[in-house]
Amino acid sequence: MAEPLLALKEVGHSFGGLSVLRSVTFDVPEGGIIGLIGPNGSGKTTLFNIVTGYIRPLAGTVAYRGAALGRDTIQQRGMAGLVRTFQTPQVFEQMTVLENVMVGCTKLTRTTMLQDLLRTPAARGQMREIRDRAEAACERFQLSALRDRPAASLTAGQRRILEIARAVAGEPRLLLLDEPSSGLNVQEIDDLRDWIVRLNEEGITILLVSHDMGLMTVARTVHTLYFGEIIASGDMAAIQRDPRVREVYLGV
Amino acid sequence: MTARTLLWLAAGLVVWAVLPFVVPRYFADLLVFTGIYTVAGLGIGLLLGHCGIVNLAQATFYGLGAYASAYCTVMMGLPSVVGFLVGAVISMTLAYVIGRPILRLTGYFLALGTLALSAIASALFFEWDWLTGGTLGIGGIPKLDLFGFLLDRPSRYYYFVWIVAFACMAVARNLVDSRTGLMLRAMRDSSTAAAALSIDLQALRTKVFVVCALFGSLAGSLFAHHASFVSTQSFTVDRSISFLLIPVIGGATSIPGIMVGALFVTFLPELLSKLGDIHQILFGLALVAVVVLMPEGLVGAFGKLWTRFARRGGGNG
Amino acid sequence: MTLSLVLQALFAGVTNGIVYALVGMGLSAIFKGSRVINAMQGEFAVIGAMTTVLLLTRTGWPYPAAIAGGALSGALVGAFIEVAFVRFMARKNASEDSFLLLTIGLALTLSASVLFFIGRDGHLLPPLGGDGVLIILDAVIQFHALWLIAIGIGATLALRAFYHRTTIGLSMMAASIDADGAATTGINVGRMRTFTFVLGGLLGALGGILVTPLIGVDYQLGLNLTLKGFAAAVLGGLTNPLGAAVGGLTLGLVESLAIIGISSSYKDVVAFTVLIVIMILMPQGILGRAGRRGG
Repeated sequence: MAEPLLALKEVGHSFGGLSVLRSVTFDVPEGGIIGLIGPNGSGKTTLFNIVTGYIRPLAGTVAYRGAALGRDTIQQRGMAGLVRTFQTPQVFEQMTVLENVMVGCTKLTRTTMLQDLLRTPAARGQMREIRDRAEAACERFQLSALRDRPAASLTAGQRRILEIARAVAGEPRLLLLDEPSSGLNVQEIDDLRDWIVRLNEEGITILLVSHDMGLMTVARTVHTLYFGEIIASGDMAAIQRDPRVREVYLGV
Repeated sequence: MTARTLLWLAAGLVVWAVLPFVVPRYFADLLVFTGIYTVAGLGIGLLLGHCGIVNLAQATFYGLGAYASAYCTVMMGLPSVVGFLVGAVISMTLAYVIGRPILRLTGYFLALGTLALSAIASALFFEWDWLTGGTLGIGGIPKLDLFGFLLDRPSRYYYFVWIVAFACMAVARNLVDSRTGLMLRAMRDSSTAAAALSIDLQALRTKVFVVCALFGSLAGSLFAHHASFVSTQSFTVDRSISFLLIPVIGGATSIPGIMVGALFVTFLPELLSKLGDIHQILFGLALVAVVVLMPEGLVGAFGKLWTRFARRGGGNG
Repeated sequence: MTLSLVLQALFAGVTNGIVYALVGMGLSAIFKGSRVINAMQGEFAVIGAMTTVLLLTRTGWPYPAAIAGGALSGALVGAFIEVAFVRFMARKNASEDSFLLLTIGLALTLSASVLFFIGRDGHLLPPLGGDGVLIILDAVIQFHALWLIAIGIGATLALRAFYHRTTIGLSMMAASIDADGAATTGINVGRMRTFTFVLGGLLGALGGILVTPLIGVDYQLGLNLTLKGFAAAVLGGLTNPLGAAVGGLTLGLVESLAIIGISSSYKDVVAFTVLIVIMILMPQGILGRAGRRGG
């Protein structure tokens, strides 16, 4: 099997003396769906922030496609196909649904400031491409009816889909979903589950953080984080049988 | 574009064209200033409305443009276009060099940084009087010569300035509607999400800041050829504040709104001065009124009135 | 560069620094309590000083009473602004930029009002402690300046005690950190915000009253003090009013040293360049806490 798409080795971090992550090591194979569960405060979001470049870890390495990510910025990682969503969907409130998705397509195109100021044919062409791609993505995610609505008027479930559509429009290789089910009702979580499976079938590797056990069943391998350490790994069935996990989740 | 809008535009264009001939010369002079301020205000509006950045440094670049034009034409006897270019190059370079570190700041720190920049520039314009002439300034700036057609009257210069202003408005509109415009609005609405979508926030802010400086410099050069005389009093921190007011009053996200803001800033003080010394107080109060009662600026407020009117009246257009 | 020259610069620096500190503390207090950047903070100084001048010269009040009146006027204007404008805009969820522009408009109105009602001339107040001076190693410092420094330090300590020891002060801190949480514990957030402006107005007015015997007050003093006060507040970390004291002193000293080291005409250039550099290198300010950047 080829090298893993994402490889974490001994990643550790602390905030002001408080250790948040300790020696976290696991792989995300290309084409897989990997899950991360753990109670609040176990370090899941910090881990996401480290992988996507918002934080530089105090210890350990993160390798993407074989190369250590070191000093790569958030934007560089995004360009390489490493994209994340946020626990609370960060939509562009004052822009329409279509425009939101169009922003997701900007990284696939290029214009210089001068071209845009003068509205050259090249710039117009790039805009057309952005618009076409965005419209296709809206179609795909069934957002077309909402396309001219301001994002601020969307429900939580719609925002979540919009955020994912926006991220997918940029053709990511590895999609990190941070608590995607938060704020969603049962039906919406079900739809989300289907989406994750569908996107994965199309070739997007997924790293999923969630407290929703039902959603987690899409993941082939699940790692359990507890106070910054991985205490168990395996498929959902094995995890639910694991004595340490049961101890930790008793009452949760 | 509906036929009705086109009709309104045509009417507006006709009004614009005949205006300098039907109003007193004094008014035509003010209208020239309105055009100049529109150019300067466009840059500030882009930063404020599309990036959420308060830029209080525009007087710096306005001054650089004005002094460059003055110096090149008067002291060095070069053609006026050189003055425009020199001012633009110096302004854009300075904006890039200073912009990169300062634009890493956010919010109030950034506003304060730009304010400090304006204060520094104002002080240097005053101190380096070997270059700028200090408070005595540089006089005798020639009127612009357009292929033999001398723009020596406000009514003539009016057309030139406003054509430049309209061109700048078109360029600003291009930017807003472009890929860069998308990224700017994204950055304004959620910089976290914008970064997550690979938008280089720092580079974007710097580029728009440089464009803003270009507009400021252009306005400054236009001003130099209009006033024939430039001195430090025109480039103080107060001037930077006036420039900021333009998009605020007009409506930062609206490009035609910049014109409205420029009209307000140019005409209101003059009109109020008819009422005597109390006019400055009234201007301040008018500003407060606009800010408190019309947070989207005059254009936003009128827009709301208009839609309410249209809905009630014969709303079918 | 003699010792006495340096000492003289130190005296001037500390004196000016305390004035900037007072204006900056007021600005910081208002920002901390309401997230409003008060661009008319310097005008509070002018209001306080002018009121004192008028009470003293036109209505013949004794000096201490006139000073109290001046300080009170600053507090009252602060309260008025909060009640008349800020509250209204806050209810309409105005953006932070809008508040800044409101205070800019108010600053313009106020300085124009002073120009209109009082005129262009500067006005002085009698110096505290008489006209005497203290001479150390050929460096001169007026008695008034010594009083100014003492009162300034006193005000700083009083402010610290206010925030940490009194119920109102603690409530203000709570309301600014978490308005909703504070409201649930019975703190009247709206009234706290008014108090914030009262405090800011008071501190600004005090600064103006204290500086007038040295340099006089006129309609243009406001903008200058606002800029310097802003710089002091930012240097100190903007949300830390006591940091503004440190910031103000730093600014004053940098200015004075620039005057003797470079030239007096460049003092503003140096002061503002230092401000920019510190903002870039130390975004939390000299005393501020990490994590709370401006805006």
